[in-house]
Amino acid sequence: MAEPASVAAESLAGSRARAARTVLGQVVLPGEELLLPEQEDAEGPGGAVERPLSLNARACSRVRVVCGPGLRRCGDRLLVTKCGRLRHKEPGSGSGGGVYWVDSQQKRYVPVKGDHVIGIVTAKSGDIFKVDVGGSEPASLSYLSFEGATKRNRPNVGDLIYGQFVVANKDMEPEMVCIDSCGRANGMGVIGQDGLLFKVTLGLIRKLLAPDCEIIQEVGKLYPLEIVFGMNGRIWVKAKTIQQTLILANILEACEHMTSDQRKQIFSRLAES
Amino acid sequence: MAPPVRYCIPGERLCNLEEGSPGSGTYTRHGYIFSSLAGCLMKSSENGAPYRRCGALSHHTLVVLISLGCAADPRGGKLGQKQMRTQYPIPAQLSPALPVVSVVRETESQLLPDVGAIVTCKVSSINSRFAKVHILYVGSMPLKNSFRGTIRKEDVRATEKDKVEIYKSFRPGDIVLAKVISLGDAQSNYLLTTAENELGVVVAHSESGIQMVPISWCEMQCPKTHTKEFRKVARVQPEFLQT
Repeated sequence: MAEPASVAAESLAGSRARAARTVLGQVVLPGEELLLPEQEDAEGPGGAVERPLSLNARACSRVRVVCGPGLRRCGDRLLVTKCGRLRHKEPGSGSGGGVYWVDSQQKRYVPVKGDHVIGIVTAKSGDIFKVDVGGSEPASLSYLSFEGATKRNRPNVGDLIYGQFVVANKDMEPEMVCIDSCGRANGMGVIGQDGLLFKVTLGLIRKLLAPDCEIIQEVGKLYPLEIVFGMNGRIWVKAKTIQQTLILANILEACEHMTSDQRKQIFSRLAES
Repeated sequence: MAPPVRYCIPGERLCNLEEGSPGSGTYTRHGYIFSSLAGCLMKSSENGAPYRRCGALSHHTLVVLISLGCAADPRGGKLGQKQMRTQYPIPAQLSPALPVVSVVRETESQLLPDVGAIVTCKVSSINSRFAKVHILYVGSMPLKNSFRGTIRKEDVRATEKDKVEIYKSFRPGDIVLAKVISLGDAQSNYLLTTAENELGVVVAHSESGIQMVPISWCEMQCPKTHTKEFRKVARVQPEFLQT
């Protein structure tokens, strides 16, 4: 009867750490520990079974598994840090054990270096602007970090800015710029007049920015529009009339929860009217 | 040690000039001795035997110099070192000599970081231009109240000062050995520098919370996760390392 003893010895909560393979696609909660494939053999059903040491290399081979977002290494196991569904991707070229990550819904943005975001200029102080990007601190944007920056050619308080982060970590205030490393604007800078800015979840932005996104293609066929996506969950949209702009904003917000059939129905109804 | 007989506040009248002679922390007006500090009253005689009874007369004339340390004010030690030395001739008919009346603070004089002193400090916050620190030790003496210091970007290293990134030299929570270069203005903090081989980060923790091991003058490695992080590492002399 070694099994109950070993089960109790696994963790204080009394539940065994599960194998990552068996939990794929299921909801995991922060604090759970997951076993990687090569450890399951060692644990076994009883946990206290003794095996003779095998001399061939296969028994001690370690597969290199990549920990994606939502997971962290804890000793030999994976520790879940976000709640969501566990996903896995097989390695493309055969080496390594693939990538594990947790798909989670999140609306709150954490600045990351290199992300392109839409910010709102809130204040001028010294020779920098303070820009609200939806994070814990306003980002700073220097006067000179625009293409062709001159004294006249500057954003005002209240303008919308599309830029990227050059410094973004948990210890310092984030800094953003509107030029790339060559000094060119590359689409960044002050976003023009009119249009509507609204907020969606971060997951939807990533879905819309994926290559060959159907939603964007269908929306483009509906009305001519200008659209800017910020990785901080903000979308700016502008169409010819205010009514069209509002329709587009509502569609994009609702896209998160619609299936593709429902979406096609809505688009066809709009195209008729 | 007997508790002091009384405390006094600035402006309080202590005694008559015939009963005592003024020492440090006091001043005289209209034939009386007044206190100019907040502290405890002390009377002493020439041969250093203090007795703290109000109104007692000694047979000696003495002025005792007590240093004034203002514990909380870092400037007090420099400005307040006033030493009053007055001697009153004792008239022949008053044969007992006057005790010296002075007012002292209870705490010992504060140890202040001086220019050129090596201090141990802890980084409290960082900015792209400087790092703010709390000074904890001066030399090997701990401070009761920590002072604030600033390490500017150009004072982190001696070479390539303009290419320094504060994020790659210090992080909040690091323990740093630094040297005082300036006392700063009235409102600002001490200015510190780490622009020497022996100065810089001594203790740092990685993102997973484990104390890191230095591997070069600019990198430290976590022993558990083997991730490397950038710091400006101090080259501590071997005799100070505890292994």
